[in-house]
Amino acid sequence: MSFEEDIVSDDEMNMIDEDVETDSEAESLSDSETENEITEKLAEPTKTAVYNRAGLLDKLQDISWPEDVDWIHKLTLDIDLGQAVDVNDDLARESALYNQALQGTREGYAKFEDMNLLFLRPANYYAEMVKSDTHMEKVKSRLLHEKKQMEESEERRKARDNKRMAKEVQSQKMKERAKQKKDDIESVKKWRKQRQQSGFSDKAGEPELDFESGKSFQRGGGKKRPGVSPGDRSGGKGKPTSRMNNKKREFRDSKFGHGGRKGLSKQNTAETTNDFKGGFRGGKASGNKRQKR
Amino acid sequence: MGKKRKHSETEAPAPMKENDSAPERPKRTLLGWKDKNEDAEKSKPASASGFRNKEKVLVTCSRRISFRYQHLMLNIVSLLPHCKKDSKVEAKSSKGATLNELVELKGSSSSLFFECRKHKDLYLWMVKSPSGPSVKFLVKAVHTMEEMKLTGNHLKGSRPLLTFSSNFDKDAHWKLLKEMLTQIFGVPKEHRKSKPYHDHVFVFSIIDDHIWFRNYQISVPHNESDKIARGGLDKMTLIEVGPRFCLNPIKIFGGSFGGPTLYENPFYVSPNQIRALEKRNKAGKFAKKIKATTRRKMHELANPLEPDEFADMWKDE
Repeated sequence: MSFEEDIVSDDEMNMIDEDVETDSEAESLSDSETENEITEKLAEPTKTAVYNRAGLLDKLQDISWPEDVDWIHKLTLDIDLGQAVDVNDDLARESALYNQALQGTREGYAKFEDMNLLFLRPANYYAEMVKSDTHMEKVKSRLLHEKKQMEESEERRKARDNKRMAKEVQSQKMKERAKQKKDDIESVKKWRKQRQQSGFSDKAGEPELDFESGKSFQRGGGKKRPGVSPGDRSGGKGKPTSRMNNKKREFRDSKFGHGGRKGLSKQNTAETTNDFKGGFRGGKASGNKRQKR
Repeated sequence: MGKKRKHSETEAPAPMKENDSAPERPKRTLLGWKDKNEDAEKSKPASASGFRNKEKVLVTCSRRISFRYQHLMLNIVSLLPHCKKDSKVEAKSSKGATLNELVELKGSSSSLFFECRKHKDLYLWMVKSPSGPSVKFLVKAVHTMEEMKLTGNHLKGSRPLLTFSSNFDKDAHWKLLKEMLTQIFGVPKEHRKSKPYHDHVFVFSIIDDHIWFRNYQISVPHNESDKIARGGLDKMTLIEVGPRFCLNPIKIFGGSFGGPTLYENPFYVSPNQIRALEKRNKAGKFAKKIKATTRRKMHELANPLEPDEFADMWKDE
């Protein structure tokens, strides 16, 4: 212990001057450091590091509980992890930790069962939990939100796919239609040719079927009623649409004028000149405002 | 209902303190399992030999601690029913003395002291109070319960199972750390604030010379409270509760908050050094460029191009 006693004087204020120590360390390190790698851990152990094995074991003896303490007081379980785990592989690390916990729990629960202890919480035992209800509510809402987002994105993706499919179908249909039309025309042409070849003359029999020009499909033939506009489907029998049928038009006509001289209606008369009620600006609008008041 | 129970909790320990040898205080139960438990305890009378875990942990932090680290501390406080939270501690100089005094004042046998430096680095002091060793850790990979949104939850104050990876036994300092973790994180049996039942498990695992901590809720299908349903052990699942952190031991001292150094982590690099190095790397960029250009120039001057002998070959024609 005398050896330790010597160190005490050095290390007593260790907590205070540690900062200074690390700074000086940093400087010394920077001098030696030539490559620019940043590591959170030294590649090789520093030689000066203290390792007082006897002291450690001594302390361990000091603080440890008596040997024959029941396991129920400690609840500790040692689990062999097997092989070393790569720290930077998050998934491997977490699964290793999870497995350790799982294995430990299984062993612990087996021990509890052997001891005939009551260790499982009954369903009707309610007590304060580590996380409050508000916290759990937050967790739940977040989970729901995530789920909803997933669903939404899925829907969007589906819609996009559908759209693409619909476009394809549409284009196919158009193509088909065009092809059909072409085929039809072709077949008619063929038929006519055959007819000509077999000796029928066009002019003797039927009226001319002129498919190509498309004139034969026009309705109404050549007859046109006079005085009927092309858009009129009633054939001129309906009432002629007059301006006066339209209420809005009527009002606007009265306001802005339609027909007759425009100039006079916009000029002052003796009456309006002497009328100061409306003020000089705005005329009617401001007058209305005043009336409302 | 909750109020009533609390009342009985606060009243119960009073007579118990007066005479330890008194018969078991009446169990707080909702179901009629009182007798069974007593039987179980009577069956193993002398083995405990009157051992009683009276661990009491003082949890404090330094001033100007960042909110995340404070939340981590509060999470730990919520996990340990046998701990006592104290107000922040100032006084950078003579900190050890103040803390020792504080621990003594509170009658605690150990303490966790969260020390935040530069609003970035969190150091954790784990101390056995009267004379025991103290360990200084650097805490990394901190995730509090609040920020992680994990679905697990368990009774507040129920006693956790402590699982240690087997490599805690490989060296003296790990053994010491294991003992300290067991004493500090293990909830004393029949502590008045602790709850019956065991529904969560702590993981302490050494990976890459760091101690990783996890807290899982245990969910097992069961009907009775002393028996797992058939095949339940296989169906058992764990749900993480949080918090998460990773401890990197820096030093172990012989006394409480100070004393002779018993162990020093030979691989430890302080975060200050790492930051300084990063900064220097960044700062060197421009200087390096200039250096390279000047070197190139020097090189060109030193080795001039040979005059091209075919330069005016076609000029005559």
